[in-house]
Amino acid sequence: MSSPNWVFSSVREALYGRQVPRLKTTRDSAIVSIPSPGQVRLISSGLTPLVKVGETVEGGKLIARSPVSERFQRRVHASLTGIITAIHDDYILIEGELPERPPLTHGVPEWIAPEAIRDTAREAGLIGMGGGMFPTYVKLSHPAPIEVVLINGCESEPYLTCDHRVLTEHRDQANCGTELAMRAVGAKQGMVVDREINYPGGYERLLIRDTLGKVVPKRGLPRDAGVLVMNVQSALALHEAVCLGRPLIDRVVTVDGDAVGRPGNYRVPIGTELSTLQEVCEIDPAKTATLLTGGPMMGTAAEASDTVTGGTGAVIALTKEELSEHEAQPCIRCGQCMEVCPYDLPVAHLVANPHKVVLDCIECGACQFTCPARIPLIDELRKAKKVVTAWD
Amino acid sequence: MSLFTGPLIHSGKTNRMMMTLVLVSLTPALIAAVLHYGFTAALLVICALAGTWLTELVLDRQHAFDGSALVTGLLFALLLPVSAPWWLAFLGGVLATGLGKHAFGGLGCNLFNPAALSRVILMALIPGAWFVSTAVTMDGITTASPLARESSMLAPTLAELLSGSTPGTLGQAAPLAVLAGGLLLASLRTIDWRIPLTFLAAVAFLALLLPASERIAGHAPWLLGNPLIHIIGGGTLLAAFFMLTDPVTAPFAPVGRIIFAIIAALAMMLIRYYTPYPDGAVLAILIANACVPLIDRFTLELGAAPRIKTPQSF
Repeated sequence: MSSPNWVFSSVREALYGRQVPRLKTTRDSAIVSIPSPGQVRLISSGLTPLVKVGETVEGGKLIARSPVSERFQRRVHASLTGIITAIHDDYILIEGELPERPPLTHGVPEWIAPEAIRDTAREAGLIGMGGGMFPTYVKLSHPAPIEVVLINGCESEPYLTCDHRVLTEHRDQANCGTELAMRAVGAKQGMVVDREINYPGGYERLLIRDTLGKVVPKRGLPRDAGVLVMNVQSALALHEAVCLGRPLIDRVVTVDGDAVGRPGNYRVPIGTELSTLQEVCEIDPAKTATLLTGGPMMGTAAEASDTVTGGTGAVIALTKEELSEHEAQPCIRCGQCMEVCPYDLPVAHLVANPHKVVLDCIECGACQFTCPARIPLIDELRKAKKVVTAWD
Repeated sequence: MSLFTGPLIHSGKTNRMMMTLVLVSLTPALIAAVLHYGFTAALLVICALAGTWLTELVLDRQHAFDGSALVTGLLFALLLPVSAPWWLAFLGGVLATGLGKHAFGGLGCNLFNPAALSRVILMALIPGAWFVSTAVTMDGITTASPLARESSMLAPTLAELLSGSTPGTLGQAAPLAVLAGGLLLASLRTIDWRIPLTFLAAVAFLALLLPASERIAGHAPWLLGNPLIHIIGGGTLLAAFFMLTDPVTAPFAPVGRIIFAIIAALAMMLIRYYTPYPDGAVLAILIANACVPLIDRFTLELGAAPRIKTPQSF
């Protein structure tokens, strides 16, 4: 929000209805690769390093992997071409230059078998890049029959446009990734959903409900409804892994917020410190009240020393004016929380009188965003969920 | 990774902003009343505002600046006849905030609209202070409303009602000003449009539908079958846009709000048609307010959830 005062807010609501604003200011900013960050810090906690300090690595080389006994296998690849400078318990440092990006291709190889796609996804370290970071190969391996592969390009979070840019610039490659995913799970139908949608409509369950009319069971997963949902960039990464042999070593990140001097969409190597982005994108630390990774609705506050991971869709620098204050006032039962709730839950009523329908809540935060009393409703809803769960 | 605790941005709205919008929307009605009745009206408004705000300051200093006391005070003033003494305005304000709001636990906890509650109590206790004229009818109760002009058998014309030339409350000085403010509030989505729309539609429908009672046919036949008189006359518009829509005392769910508005319309029209009480808008608001917990229970489809469950024994 460039000016989140209440006059602006009420005029916007009068004109467009009560909703979380889109703030897609970087919609037309083409993807730009950042210059080499010089050093990356790759998170490797729980993984076995496969390299030694001082070793020279090519970009894309496997440098750490899960022990074989691990249920969900993870892989970490060098995102720079250079030298391993340190190996710690939970991270590996590499100093070097950006590896070359292979020329783009598309088209699904005729011969590839479902098992080969899954194996490639595992070895390339592919994860859910919408923020979930769940290993892609596990999703592709589940025995439940999948009818539809849904590629989520909605990113309803305010500010985020990286998936939109990927779809605009690499549509064929994303389609190829979709087809590979369909082949891996034996789905007949594949859809890339990229319509403009207001928060929290891009949420997995809501996307399935609103696009396919299918209901995901309350405590189930999309696969229980016969649907596989993948983020756009996960699909692109699947394409790159299978067709180009390129593991997950970079991703497109939206950098935006009022404290950002050069907002836009940047291709960033995994492991890049946010401080690098602060320099490249001219984020003013003096103006920044909160730096966060992910969108402003579901994202988490971050430090400049944190790194970009596979699930980091955005780096947002919010000014003090944009931040939500937490001086709660008494609830005046205005009902706006129910109005914006994607499940029409009477939120304010539920937090005072817990009821089992509260378990429907996906904690999207739209209610807390709109609440004029500024009640921390997500906290309250979690408490209500605990109370209700204790009943069973 | 730190634990997610909800969105980091906010719409920027506050309770105070909601109250400010209501105050702004009440301004046309306030200006019209002062222009129409002059200094006396201004004095009444100031006394009522002083009553609510000073009470708020004493009872809940922390929230004294959120504007809710001013909304209550202004609404109470608009329910006063211009002939009312200044101390009635002040006393009403004190009662509205003290008994109508803080006795229930403060902002957001009251079951009844504070201004309406205060007015009904004071009318029962000090009826003499509310009379428009010195003429006391056989009914014993005369309210500050043109709808009360039954003894004369003369119908107030629409033009009379719109120009406020009939004796009435401050809020009835210019029905169009009330309507304009209400429409502004509804278009800003500060109030739920369903409540005024349903309420006014139900009032019009009932005006056409309800069979005449002997009382009305004998005393004020012009009240029958005339929806516009019922919508513009009395406290109907003020109730529709500013009092029934008070979210604290309205149901939570949209369906509930529609039911609530119908109950209020039914109560008001039954009072106007079949009781000696000529306006009934304020009483109808209280009756509808009283139904809110029940409406909520049914419309939120939560059933009777156990609120406390005994822990399992060892």
